[in-house]
Amino acid sequence: MARGLKLSGQALALALVAGLLGLLVWKLTHQSHPPKIGGPAPAFSLKRIDGGGTVDLTSLRGKPVVLNFWASWCVPCKSEAAALEAAYRRYRSQGVVFLGIDYHDVTGDARTFLDRHRVTYTTLQDGSGMVGDRYGLTGVPETYFVDRRGRLVGFHIAGPITDSKLAAEFRQGVEAALNS
Amino acid sequence: MILRLAAALAAALALAAPAAAACTHPRTSLAYLEGQIMCPTCHTTLDQSESPAALRIEAEISKRIAQCWTADQIKAELVQNFGAGILAAPPRKGFDLLAWWLPIAGVVLGAALLALGVWRWSRGRDGPEPPPDEGSGLDPESERRLDEALARFE
Repeated sequence: MARGLKLSGQALALALVAGLLGLLVWKLTHQSHPPKIGGPAPAFSLKRIDGGGTVDLTSLRGKPVVLNFWASWCVPCKSEAAALEAAYRRYRSQGVVFLGIDYHDVTGDARTFLDRHRVTYTTLQDGSGMVGDRYGLTGVPETYFVDRRGRLVGFHIAGPITDSKLAAEFRQGVEAALNS
Repeated sequence: MILRLAAALAAALALAAPAAAACTHPRTSLAYLEGQIMCPTCHTTLDQSESPAALRIEAEISKRIAQCWTADQIKAELVQNFGAGILAAPPRKGFDLLAWWLPIAGVVLGAALLALGVWRWSRGRDGPEPPPDEGSGLDPESERRLDEALARFE
């Protein structure tokens, strides 16, 4: 009886330690890192902010895609909104799809932002930030480029594309998505 | 000037009164809710955050409070917008109940194991009953020689 109790106690303690180790390993392996340029773009399916259903990234295979993470509370996002809309108007005839991904934002604020800045390309909601985490966001705005085969190409732009250096990277990123 | 101020005040009261009167239940408060809602970008509760996202969520909560929404309604809308991670504590239903019960079960189990250990330890200290006297344990020859040796000292 006593031996059985002792063995049960030891088994329980071992199970607890194994569980804690498992949690530690899970945490270490699930920390968000930016995906590698050249590697596959992390897949996602998100609701459109206009209520028009969902968009799945894999359904856009065959088209170059610009992914721009933003939020209405982000000051630099306001400064780049017009530039992004202008870029969308310039490149859409070449088949480039622009997706704005509204990150950790209040829906009403986001809609007001889109109206105010006259953004016409598709915007998706990432309220929980799950997709942003998969892309290893450190803040907003951040921009990625996805080629026709679903790979990340060009640059990972962390900052507003109104910055002259980042604007050049943006152009090169769109070209890379178009031509690779 | 005073008349103008009084008129503005009266107009403000006239506008505010219907909104306040429209509440058929006790109005919740930002102070009550901001400790229960997380800032999604800084992973602290709203009352500990000054981040732009937290300030926007606080503004949204204030707007809903002014519209007489209950705390539960406001939390439900935030969960719909940001996911369940926006709540500082998991909901007390379904699978999330585990998050409430597991720590309690752990404490109870730990206390039970501790009590069992203390009980066994205290029994061990009393020690087993000494065995009945079964002689010196020496063989008869050795015992005889020992008796002789002791007799010489007497």
